Amino acid sequence: MSTPAIVKRARKQRSTRDGRMIRDFRPPEGVPLNFEVAGLGIRLAAQITDLLITSMFVLVLVLFLAATDLADGSALWIIASLSFFFIRAPYYVLAELIWNGQTLGKRICRLRVVSADGRSLRPYSVTVRNLMKEIEVFYPGTMMISAAALGPGEYIILLIWIGVLLAVPLTNKKRQRLGDMIANTYVIYQPQAILMPDLTTRPAAEAREKFAFLPHQLDHYGAYELQTLEKVLHVDTSGHSQDIARRHRRNLKAISEKIRSKIDYTDKVDDKDIPEFLEAFYLAQRRYLESRKLFGDAREDKFHKHDEKSAAL
Amino acid sequence: MSEATIRSTRFRAEREADWQRLEKIVAQTERSGVRSLGFDDARDLAVLYRQAMNSLSVAREISLDKSLLDYLEALCSRAYLAVYAPQESLGGLFRRLFVYGIPQAMRRSAIPLLLGFLAMGLGALTGYMLFLDDNTWYNTFMPEGLAGGRGLSSSREDLLSVIYQDDTSALDELGAFASHLFSHNTTIAMFAFALGVFVCLPSFALCAYNGLILGVFVALHVDRGIGMDIFGWLSIHGVTELSAICIATAGGFRLGLAVLFPGNLRRRDALRREGRDAVKLAIMAAIMLFAAGLLEGFGRQLVQDLDTRLMIGWGVGALWLSWILFSGRGQDRKAAKE
Repeated sequence: MSTPAIVKRARKQRSTRDGRMIRDFRPPEGVPLNFEVAGLGIRLAAQITDLLITSMFVLVLVLFLAATDLADGSALWIIASLSFFFIRAPYYVLAELIWNGQTLGKRICRLRVVSADGRSLRPYSVTVRNLMKEIEVFYPGTMMISAAALGPGEYIILLIWIGVLLAVPLTNKKRQRLGDMIANTYVIYQPQAILMPDLTTRPAAEAREKFAFLPHQLDHYGAYELQTLEKVLHVDTSGHSQDIARRHRRNLKAISEKIRSKIDYTDKVDDKDIPEFLEAFYLAQRRYLESRKLFGDAREDKFHKHDEKSAAL
Repeated sequence: MSEATIRSTRFRAEREADWQRLEKIVAQTERSGVRSLGFDDARDLAVLYRQAMNSLSVAREISLDKSLLDYLEALCSRAYLAVYAPQESLGGLFRRLFVYGIPQAMRRSAIPLLLGFLAMGLGALTGYMLFLDDNTWYNTFMPEGLAGGRGLSSSREDLLSVIYQDDTSALDELGAFASHLFSHNTTIAMFAFALGVFVCLPSFALCAYNGLILGVFVALHVDRGIGMDIFGWLSIHGVTELSAICIATAGGFRLGLAVLFPGNLRRRDALRREGRDAVKLAIMAAIMLFAAGLLEGFGRQLVQDLDTRLMIGWGVGALWLSWILFSGRGQDRKAAKE
């Protein structure tokens, strides 16, 4: 007997939600780290910021040339487009080297380039991914601007080109463009570390005495439900409006009723004791699940009994 | 800690202070670099990073505290990024690239380079012969923007006046033309490099086509009896610029050859391996194109004398060649060992 369809569906829903994580990243210490893949939208925003910054340099140069009468007309135009290339390419490479995978635009958008093999970012990778960017992004970009001057054949080629280059990052899960693939790099969100207080230290001794749970009552849930409860309990409504606080209390009440009916907890819980009850339950449930896990019985979610059954058969 | 606290809570309480200290050091590193750290902080960064990695590994096994796992995950990622940042200074990097990296890559690419120059040479020869056979080929090969008004109908004097133009009023016009030519060649070089991935053919075609243009252009001038003058006019920048195109083509060839003959590697890996040298060739080509642009923009207009033009053009060429041949020689064997 295999896992029932409903279990599969529930688990699939959860796994697609974190499908945008890089799971196979292994630093030299051998402990895998997970990074969140940066989407194309935010990368475009970073790109535009960088473009504005580099075009400022070019603008200053061109204004200087125009003011000093060194060049004019079409020459100026061509010098502008060329110096754009000769300023832009080194800017990206040097910025990503100096700031370890961040240009100014990426810094603002909190993005970063990392080497996919878990080692430090090498100058070679940075150069390759930014040289490829010229061909992948900027050349078609400038062609698009002058699209009116193109013949129909060239126009079609340009469209196919752009289509292919867009399809590459959209069809792979890690959103690597061609340059990333050749240089073996990922673009990720800069991780933010926020430490929440430990919930298990919260319930006072009397609350622990007051709400006691028996082992069979803790057999229902798995890690997923525990961590969902944790998320709810971490909500702090003190800085918010009355309305939000009331809604939060209502949620807690609904959750506690659901839990009580599921685990057959018959004692009465007063409305004002609900947070305490949930925290005590969280503590007991976590202690139980963690000790089960130590004994080799990791329970992913409330469907864990199906797993046991299919493993037994 | 009372008996009642659970194992993962004790685990966290014992280590929390260290994590927070690591977080502070990492935050400072992110703001102002590893160099800004004091001795104690720098030493502790390495130790605390490894401890945090260890904690993460243990916490994944024993703890179900999601907020702790997320925190450790993010902390370790940030510490990893701070510890494994490129440590080399930019100066050292450039020195290595120019003294060893590029010349060695060029020497390793002798055969692709030969092929690149061959492609252009064959193209030029073909263009020249075709022009001698039937001079209307000129119009077929020469792009209008590049011709700069010089066509089959131009007389000897017209052509000479473009080659030796000391009249400053025409300088701007000529400057524009030179920039145009330059951007044309930059584009050709870029494509010759990038399209090499498609089993070398587009690179070869582009380089040979550039040769064709050169061939018919020279043939036109030879036909009018001013072969030496155009040789000088082309030499001053062309030695550098045309070599740059050939080098970019050679870079493309290395990519193409990796796809054609990957050996024992997967094509993807072979491409990555060959890419290392190919990129160095591309940087070399970019530097040479930039130098050529300077020579073209200033040198050609300022230097009107044929002999000086020849001397500058081929002198600069000799400089490039000696750089490639002699720089970073002693390090070859060391690099091969690595």
